[in-house]
Amino acid sequence: MILIFKALISSSLAGLLELDTVQAGQFLLSRPALVGPLLGALNGCVLEGARLGILIELIYIDFIPVGGVVPPNGAVAAAVGVLAHSWAGLVPALAFFTGLFAGGLYSFVEYRLRSSRSRCNNVIEAEVKAGRERLNYWVAGAMLGESAAVSLYVFLFSGMVFLTGRFFRLEALTPAMNLAYSLMPWLGLSGLYFRFRAQMYKRS
Amino acid sequence: MSDEMENKNSSPYPLSPIPYTLRSMFVRSFFIQAGWNYERSQNVGFAFALLPALRRVYGNTERYYAALLRHLELFNTQPYMAGFILGNVAKMEEKLAGAVSTTENEAEIRTLTGVKQALAQSFAAIGDRIFWGRLKPMTVQVCLIVWTLGGFYGWLFTSCQETPSLWLILAGPLSGAAAYSAFAVYWRWKGMQSGFECGGASNCGLEDLNWSRFIRRLSVAGFIFSLLIALVALGLFIAFNYTRLSGSELALRLGLLAGVLAAHRVARRLGRSVFFVIGLTLSVSLFLFWALKLKPFDFYL
Repeated sequence: MILIFKALISSSLAGLLELDTVQAGQFLLSRPALVGPLLGALNGCVLEGARLGILIELIYIDFIPVGGVVPPNGAVAAAVGVLAHSWAGLVPALAFFTGLFAGGLYSFVEYRLRSSRSRCNNVIEAEVKAGRERLNYWVAGAMLGESAAVSLYVFLFSGMVFLTGRFFRLEALTPAMNLAYSLMPWLGLSGLYFRFRAQMYKRS
Repeated sequence: MSDEMENKNSSPYPLSPIPYTLRSMFVRSFFIQAGWNYERSQNVGFAFALLPALRRVYGNTERYYAALLRHLELFNTQPYMAGFILGNVAKMEEKLAGAVSTTENEAEIRTLTGVKQALAQSFAAIGDRIFWGRLKPMTVQVCLIVWTLGGFYGWLFTSCQETPSLWLILAGPLSGAAAYSAFAVYWRWKGMQSGFECGGASNCGLEDLNWSRFIRRLSVAGFIFSLLIALVALGLFIAFNYTRLSGSELALRLGLLAGVLAAHRVARRLGRSVFFVIGLTLSVSLFLFWALKLKPFDFYL
């Protein structure tokens, strides 16, 4: 019961921090390198949280949110990764890949959210034409919707991982996952290197 | 509406001496991406941030709602650079409010729309390169450097179980985020002031800094740090394994590592994302341990 409660708190916190990605601020508070250890500390696995977080950040460094592109969501990936380890009991390697997958999949949810908000434009315009201005309401609504979507997604995804872990013997995957996981820091460093190397040759 | 407008030959509430309005717009500019949508991108956030200026120059009149509608059209730029455009548009709205004829009013609106869109594109290109393309990856470098200097190598060795203090772990990402945010907030505010001062000019703010030289310097610094971190990581890898493993075991591990790096290089050449390499790595790992029944081994430590 305590684990479910912690998972709920962690999901809500992830939803709150995620607002920083697009909706408000952009102070880099939603980066996985910070979300990972924060949620790790909450769930008693700081080291794994930090490691999952920084590796997810290094892997996702390849994706840049320019021109409305929806990149994989690092905060969601880190939150699901930490909960997959602390709540569902997966080994860190498997939790990492689960988080990575969850973050990638969330971009479809984000895409849907952004599309659905397009429909609000006509309503807002009609309100303004009628002499009513409620932009505060629309801005708050968009933020609330985004935060709720992330919290729900993180909680449900982690819950599904928890159930999967109960019904299937995922430990059988551990050796293979450990090998792949141990190579991820190098893949991340390679991404970091190529990111700047490409810029050096591109000439700004 | 034109007759009513012609009676208003100047803005009843001029913006210029009122820093409060700019401060209010500055705070609201942190929400410029709230309500981002595919149809019109940041329109809601932009109009929301501009509200204090519109209220100030038009009061609660018909022209206020007309101006608001104008700013609910498509708008998209880099969020940290939006201040340049917000300040500029606020100043232009002030001029527009003082238009004495319909013709002048229409001309001002055309100028405003043109300048707004042109600046949005220019600052999007500059801001994306500086913030998303360079500074954000550099905060990861800062995090890795802080952790390594603090003696935390868990980010490199996935089986390392040594837990450092929570403060050190948090210091890594927070130090990068603090430096990044300070720079971003500075440009948000400076941009707004600069935009307001030279409002109406289509090159407003573009000459505040030699942006291309700045971008080039960031690229060089980022590249040097990347190389440095990669070399330190390689040094740590060899130092940790040198005394524990035989020459052939070490060579096998270095070979695996080189294989992953080569796969990433090839994938990039083929235009594939990093997920392709991850999928490949997972497939090979599963093949080794499931199909070939390889004995589990501890890869690094």
